[in-house]
Amino acid sequence: MLETVPVEYYLVLSAAVFCIGLFGILTRTNALTFLMSVELMLNAANINLVAFAFYWSNLTGQVFVLFTMSLAAAEVAIGIGIILVLNRNFDDVDVTEAATLKW
Amino acid sequence: MEGIFQYAPAIAVLPFVSFLVALIAGEYLPKKGALAGILATGGSLTLSLVVLVAVVSGHTYNETLYTFVDASETFSLTFGLLIDPLSAAMLVIVSLIATLVHVFSLGYMNDEGEIGLPRYYAGLGLFTASMLAFVFSDNLLMAFIFFELVGLCSYLLIGFWFREDAPPSAAKKAFLVTRFGDYFFLIGVVAVLVTFGTAQFAGSEGFPALAEEALVAGETFHGLGAETWLSIIGLLVLGGVLGKSAQFPFHTWLPDAMEGPTPVSALIHAATMVAAGVYLVARMYGFYALLPTVLAIIAFIGGFTALFAATMGVVKDEIKQVLAYSTISQYGYIMLALGAGGYVAAFFHLTTHAVFKALLFLGAGSVIIAMHHNENMWDMGGLKDPMRVTYLTFLAGSLALAGIFPFSGFWSKDEVLFETLVHALGGSPLLLGAYVMGLGAVFLTGFYTIRMVMLTFHGEPRSDTAENPHGVRWNVKFPLSVLGVLAVVAGFLNPVPIQKLTGAQVDFLHAFLDSAPEATLTNAGHYSDLTAEYAGYGTGYIGGEVMTLLLGAGIALGLALVGAGSAFFLYRGAEPTAHTEKLGRVRTLLMHNYYQDEYQVWLAEGLTVRVARAADTFDQGVIDGLVNGASSVSLFAGDRLRRIQTGVVTNYAAFIALSLVILVALFAVLGGWI
Repeated sequence: MLETVPVEYYLVLSAAVFCIGLFGILTRTNALTFLMSVELMLNAANINLVAFAFYWSNLTGQVFVLFTMSLAAAEVAIGIGIILVLNRNFDDVDVTEAATLKW
Repeated sequence: MEGIFQYAPAIAVLPFVSFLVALIAGEYLPKKGALAGILATGGSLTLSLVVLVAVVSGHTYNETLYTFVDASETFSLTFGLLIDPLSAAMLVIVSLIATLVHVFSLGYMNDEGEIGLPRYYAGLGLFTASMLAFVFSDNLLMAFIFFELVGLCSYLLIGFWFREDAPPSAAKKAFLVTRFGDYFFLIGVVAVLVTFGTAQFAGSEGFPALAEEALVAGETFHGLGAETWLSIIGLLVLGGVLGKSAQFPFHTWLPDAMEGPTPVSALIHAATMVAAGVYLVARMYGFYALLPTVLAIIAFIGGFTALFAATMGVVKDEIKQVLAYSTISQYGYIMLALGAGGYVAAFFHLTTHAVFKALLFLGAGSVIIAMHHNENMWDMGGLKDPMRVTYLTFLAGSLALAGIFPFSGFWSKDEVLFETLVHALGGSPLLLGAYVMGLGAVFLTGFYTIRMVMLTFHGEPRSDTAENPHGVRWNVKFPLSVLGVLAVVAGFLNPVPIQKLTGAQVDFLHAFLDSAPEATLTNAGHYSDLTAEYAGYGTGYIGGEVMTLLLGAGIALGLALVGAGSAFFLYRGAEPTAHTEKLGRVRTLLMHNYYQDEYQVWLAEGLTVRVARAADTFDQGVIDGLVNGASSVSLFAGDRLRRIQTGVVTNYAAFIALSLVILVALFAVLGGWI
């Protein structure tokens, strides 16, 4: 019986990655950093999915991760587009400056 | 013959077209729209006569033509035509008077160089059209709609000379007073629709027939007995009738309405506005005949108004004022007849009154032209020789109004009083009171009518204009002559005394109104059955029918002759003295119309305005306060909450993360993880 890594380790890793992403969102103002942080958070969730799929020997979780990744790719495409427009309008990618639509 | 009924709507449509023509193109037409009006009303008259012939030969027409709200589960609102003897005869009266008034207007308005004539003729056209449509309405709602249009037109025409002070004010008064009554009428219409699910006048599906069934079956409505509930509905509708027909206490608008052009007064008093009220009672008589209480109220209001208005007519100095009070008084007789179960008598008096009152107003109009629009009778006198045609026709109308044998008013007024007396003797002694008031009014009518004739036409001229009166042309004399002849002979439509005395079947109007087919349930015989069965109107005589008849006619004629004779005696001679001055304080009271206007103004200013102010304060303070309070609370809360919307993504993310943490913590505590 091959010794496997316990599932708790994956969870800790996942939580750590998620927190790094959250920290990035809360502290940075650069839109590109934002996008990266969001990616980190998404992938933290992916790690969870894969870990539990492996733990329960059920492939559904792994298949689901594929969908999440394609979704993340689409999100990045749109996100980059938004950042481009942001740059064009404000000559900057600072998210705190784009607050002119509020009432 | 029945095919003619398909064209019957044109009776009302033709004057409506003349209204449009006068309104749009009147300014460019040679007589400013008068010719279109004469043609249209003449066409209506012709068509009405053909319809009358068709009805005389035994056909009736009761069709729904247009449904404007179709609700099969409750009730539909429709327009339709009901042409039976009553409406056919009324159509002829209305279109005849309207035609003559149009012709007369040529002399009174065009020849006098009035401006704004297209507006005048448009008003006349719409007035006639709405009255005609009201007359052939087959249901109460349609009747109400055109009833209101009639009111609107009277407002427009009374206020025709709107640049002066008095006419617009009189127009507003007429509109408001009648509207006050119509308010009750509207509720009555709704009540009829809700109670019976139909507002049809005629047939076994009509609401009078359904009301009778409900009464027989002893149904209850909203916890009230059938008779109580039906009486309430009857009284509500009666509100509109009292307003339009100028019955006490809603009569105050009518004397003021004299501010309008005289031909309009003729139209209002003889055929359209004022007649609409009593016509409505006659139209739904199958309903009123079931309700003894309402009938008694109608009879008493009628009798009282007849006497009350006549007393005021005695002291008036202006020719049109005298006529105005006589109109109120005469419509009181019609109401008296309706309340006393004399359906035919009421319609008979309505017919003869339409003729002689139109004649008197047009005659007064002719005098006013001659007097250069001075209406004071004390400035007239001696007009009988220079104005031969006017004098003779006016005299015929006056004798008819006074009820002197054999002029038309004698026959109809006599029948009204006879019916009242017979039913009073036949088990309804209360009616005797109304009868006595009616008799009192006969005397006063004779007096003020002859006083008016004497002051206007007899004696020496009392002013320069009276010495040199302005001439009138054919367009004034022609309508006067037609009406003058009718005022003499119209009584022979229904000379009941002759029929009773000789046995000859000469009560044509009675037979005609009784000729409606049984299915319509609008024939006179059916109505007298109803009043006998439900209101207990039996017949009683003093020493036999003929004896009662002669006695009643003798008393009425005697009183009329005494009144007329005393007026003739008092005001004869070259320079009559103002005998009413001797009445002292009574005259002051009468000249002020019993202070009716004053107390109504007090009601409006002293009571209604105060209540309205209090309601306004309550509305502004409490109701608006609540609404304003609610809005300021949300405004304040919104202003505070707005601050968390910074527009910075980082803050939103922080909120989300924080909320998540709080949520997890909550679950942890509540879920018992810790």
